[in-house]
Amino acid sequence: MAFLVKFTASLLAILVLAWFALRLGLGRDARIRDKEHAQLLADEVVYGFEALKTAVDKFGRAALLQDAAGRVILVKLHGAQFSGRLLGPEAEALIWNDQGERELLVSSGEWLFGKASLNIADPDDWAKAVKAAKEPAHA
Amino acid sequence: MPEFSPIDFAVPAFVLLVLIEMIWARRKRQGAYEPRDTLTSLAFGLGSSVTGLLTGGAVLVLSLWLYQFRLFDFGAEWWMVWWLWPLCFVLDDLGYYWFHRCAHRVRWFWASHVNHHSSQHYNYSTALRQSWTSFFALSFIFRIPLTLLGFHPAMILFVGAFNLIYQFWIHTEAIGRMPRWFEAVMNTPSHHRVHHATNPLYLDRNYAGTFIVWDRMFGTFQAETDSERIRYGIVRQLGTFNLLWAVFHEWVGIAQDVWRAPWRHKLSYVWRPPGWTHDGSRDTSDMLRAQWLERQAPAALETSEKSVPNENSIAVKEKPA
Repeated sequence: MAFLVKFTASLLAILVLAWFALRLGLGRDARIRDKEHAQLLADEVVYGFEALKTAVDKFGRAALLQDAAGRVILVKLHGAQFSGRLLGPEAEALIWNDQGERELLVSSGEWLFGKASLNIADPDDWAKAVKAAKEPAHA
Repeated sequence: MPEFSPIDFAVPAFVLLVLIEMIWARRKRQGAYEPRDTLTSLAFGLGSSVTGLLTGGAVLVLSLWLYQFRLFDFGAEWWMVWWLWPLCFVLDDLGYYWFHRCAHRVRWFWASHVNHHSSQHYNYSTALRQSWTSFFALSFIFRIPLTLLGFHPAMILFVGAFNLIYQFWIHTEAIGRMPRWFEAVMNTPSHHRVHHATNPLYLDRNYAGTFIVWDRMFGTFQAETDSERIRYGIVRQLGTFNLLWAVFHEWVGIAQDVWRAPWRHKLSYVWRPPGWTHDGSRDTSDMLRAQWLERQAPAALETSEKSVPNENSIAVKEKPA
């Protein structure tokens, strides 16, 4: 019984704290600022990754980077932080229309990682690059 | 010995400190908190207390059974021997250091401990992101030597709780550096920020619980430098707030790797460091640090040639520890 009381009180405290963080507006306004920022983020995904070509979403929600070997990294907003993946054979890219604007929807193939929508200048080229990208075989 | 759980009394203070830190974040650093991340961290804490309750009894029974084989006997009223308490605290902290080091260097233990590192934020809610699977990972074995030495399991649990409480306040970016003497002996927010960082320079450093002296003694200390912007989390960030995935992802990874690996390499995916692969397709923290040093060396050498001849090529890049 005592445990149930403690558990319920803790659960309520958790919900109140999360609600408070939401009310304070914490964790907003994170954006990929520019190509240099995207490069820094890609370097965190694959140490030493040097992009030859970079496309940053108009709204800073995501970025695609390609290196000399043809490898492609997707970096996307994750809450107030960023997360990325080296795209492999499971990756998918498709172009769709969002209120008259062509956007590139990229998926790493990892269900929980989610998809990223990019409003970029040359979505067709990047769709091809994503399809061609082959991650080195993993154990 | 009276029944007393220090953590029960500490929880209200934890909640209050989280609230205060959120207000600090609102004023100084809005990105220090993210509501979904906070919710995940706190749910981790709650789940951990449930699994702790479910498995704690088994650990206690085992410890009490082992206690009969103790090396030293401090008498029936062991709790009245005052000096045993601080001695037990210090030795338990030493044991914690080795547990923590193994938790980062052996993938089996890491699969449980990674829970605590899975947030990309570093705040008081992160401190509550505790493992659900530590019993399954057999983390309790690191406290067995103290029992065999003669410390009563109740005393070990008691000082261990205080150790855990101490570690709460160091999970923050709101506190810069403590006075020099304090930084020299105790684990602090600055030292522990380094521990939670994924920067190659900082990977697998500062394992201390309460006393940072263990890291200094065993060669795993790294001071926080102003030149390195800290990135928190794990090398391959989860990219999701899904609680169950955050809890079990490394166990799933081990199972997948063991399943796919050739027979002679299967066990290595359990006991070798996280990131180890038989074909070198992933990097361990040692490999990442080596790559980082390799990249730093030419730049540092260039700097030293221009400014301070004959100075260490790595050291010139960083501020002194």
